[in-house]
Amino acid sequence: MAIIELRNICHAYNGIQKNEKDTIYAVKDINQIYPDGSAVALLGPSGCGKTTLLEIISGLLVPTKGQIFFDGKDVTSLNAKQRHIAQVFQFPVVYDSMNVYGNLAFPLRNDGVDSDKIRERVYEVAKYLEITDLLKYSVTKLTAADKQKVSLGRGIVRPDTAAVLLDEPLTVIDPKAQWGLRRKLKQVQKELNITMIYVTHDQHEALTFAEHVTVMDVGKIEQTGSPKELHENPESTFVGYFIGSPGMNFIDVKVNPGGKLDFSGTSILIAGKIADKLLETGKYFTLGIRPEYIILYKTETESCISGKVKIVEDNGTYQIITTQIGALDIKSRAPESMEITYGDIVWLHLNQDKIKFFKEGKKFPLQPINQKSSNMEEY
Amino acid sequence: MGIIIENVTKTIQGVNILNNVNLVVNEGDFSVLLAPTGSGKTTLLRIIAGIEKPTSGKIYFDGVDVTNLSVQNHNIAMVHQQFVNYPSYTVYENIASPLRVSKKKYSKKEIDDKVRANAKLLGISGILDALPEQISGGQQQRTAIARALIKGTKYVFLDEPLANLDYKLREELRGELKLIFRKKGGAMIYATPEPIDAMGMASHVGFIYKGEIIQYGPVKEVYKNPKFLEVGEYFSNPTMNILEGKKIEENNRQFIKVTNQFKIDVSSVNEKLVKDSYFIGVRAHDISMKNKKDCFVEIDGIVELTEAVGSDTEIHIEHFGKEIIALVDTFVSYEIGETVKLYINPNRFYIFDKETHKLCAKTGKEN
Repeated sequence: MAIIELRNICHAYNGIQKNEKDTIYAVKDINQIYPDGSAVALLGPSGCGKTTLLEIISGLLVPTKGQIFFDGKDVTSLNAKQRHIAQVFQFPVVYDSMNVYGNLAFPLRNDGVDSDKIRERVYEVAKYLEITDLLKYSVTKLTAADKQKVSLGRGIVRPDTAAVLLDEPLTVIDPKAQWGLRRKLKQVQKELNITMIYVTHDQHEALTFAEHVTVMDVGKIEQTGSPKELHENPESTFVGYFIGSPGMNFIDVKVNPGGKLDFSGTSILIAGKIADKLLETGKYFTLGIRPEYIILYKTETESCISGKVKIVEDNGTYQIITTQIGALDIKSRAPESMEITYGDIVWLHLNQDKIKFFKEGKKFPLQPINQKSSNMEEY
Repeated sequence: MGIIIENVTKTIQGVNILNNVNLVVNEGDFSVLLAPTGSGKTTLLRIIAGIEKPTSGKIYFDGVDVTNLSVQNHNIAMVHQQFVNYPSYTVYENIASPLRVSKKKYSKKEIDDKVRANAKLLGISGILDALPEQISGGQQQRTAIARALIKGTKYVFLDEPLANLDYKLREELRGELKLIFRKKGGAMIYATPEPIDAMGMASHVGFIYKGEIIQYGPVKEVYKNPKFLEVGEYFSNPTMNILEGKKIEENNRQFIKVTNQFKIDVSSVNEKLVKDSYFIGVRAHDISMKNKKDCFVEIDGIVELTEAVGSDTEIHIEHFGKEIIALVDTFVSYEIGETVKLYINPNRFYIFDKETHKLCAKTGKEN
């Protein structure tokens, strides 16, 4: 088990070119520390660099620049085995010629551990994974989900495993069996207190598994945070869009003294103090607000912006309403019971406490705001 | 006017893939054929589109028998799961291609107008000069959809068109497809294993089970009144909780008892319940972690897993050996093994027959 630190990691598959701007980086300027025993997810769309980063951590790839430390020791030039890294891939890797016990025992036998100790450890690991009943079975008879458990078991059977890296491990698992495996992964990670790094493009898997989710886009880390932090406090518009379903609404606004924000032929009022703070930097910002923090009314309501309903989508639990305001589409939620159809004129109220501001795609830091400021008439 | 599917059966190597399917899709309907993988929905869609022939039965478009019409003479458009674009053509040429090979001749200007109008509808006006390999999967599927729409055929069929896209693109296209259909008119039939596709976009939904359409109707109607356990269980997001319970009587009131804690008052529908035990169904969003009303049924549970689903949370709970899923419409997290209380809305239960799986009764007035 180890603290994993990435220091100034850059990787260019074609190497550094003479002219810096000709260099194509798969990942760039990655700095990150993951505490010992943490559940980490690397999340991002395809091509974001997450698999490159995983390979750098595992030792399959030596980065063009930068260093990796495990517990403060530089391991940049060590391979996966020397780093004590175990890996679980999309397709379960099992030895068909051996039974489940043989598969789990294999790494220990290679290390020359004596058979009593092997037996003890294999049973211990099998118990964690709830596959004790399967130990005598040939692996060829197992379901994909159980095979994946065996792959994981072989990874954690060595007591000195520094970390387990998982690359989209649920891809080939039957959807019905997925939740059980998700639960098992999380449980094993917690109980053994082992560092696990899980790569996926699926926010559902990442947010379910990890305490530390690193969101990546085009070779850079956008943010690392708990699922709640990513949801409540996205550091960038990308994170706001990517996390949550539907993602955050973004509105380009012009800030006026006193707190009036103009956009798309309409305006809202925010706290004057916040406007003043924004105006210190400039007049133009992007306002971000999640659909769940917008209240939709069917009758004219004060402190609201009005628009025409463009799309009504139902998800069985609530409705997602897309309202058109000028050239802008704003998504909000409405309760299942609300009768609402395309073409209706509606009024939207943006929860003041939940509004975020962004400048050039990055969060604009505001000092803690008076939480009672939801009533804008006070200002 | 519309599509009529009459007694369609399809047998492949002695196995009935479709069994006497009857369906009427009217003009103006956006119909989803919903079923798990391997239930015959793609086969049915291909038969309706004329790509495959039924073993027996007929297909009518606007009253005309089209069962034996060749695909070329069928005036329809189809979008496949695996989007197919010509790799050496630009997006523009891909969209224009059906018009160029059409029997009807189009002028250069007509083609240009149509390509631009459809590209605009799909939000890909900015990439008309790009080659397929230069654009994202979502843009490729939009290109394929624009190409399918360009001839302006009255009927468009879509076979899991969002299946190969990541969830963010699915989320966006789902809303857009609904909008596109409204602008386009005609009728669309859309095959998918995802209940959320039906809920989010469609006007009608048909549930296919073992090669038969066991229920078809307006989306809300099917959602609120699933005729069979299979429909209720599948047409829910997440899956409806299904539990077995025994009928008991206490203080002159009748209950279905799942566990000592978990008892549902069924006195109001008692006359419909003559057997000793039933399956009861309750959707995850009718189970909450906070007590909303005094009448809610309170039960204990142990958290097995919390799953972040979009902006909601699914909580898997063990209640005396039974697995129950609750859905909370915010972002919350519970530790595995944590003891919690669940509150279940007593007016949201479906009671199904244990043998036939037919819906016998529902609790609550407006469920």
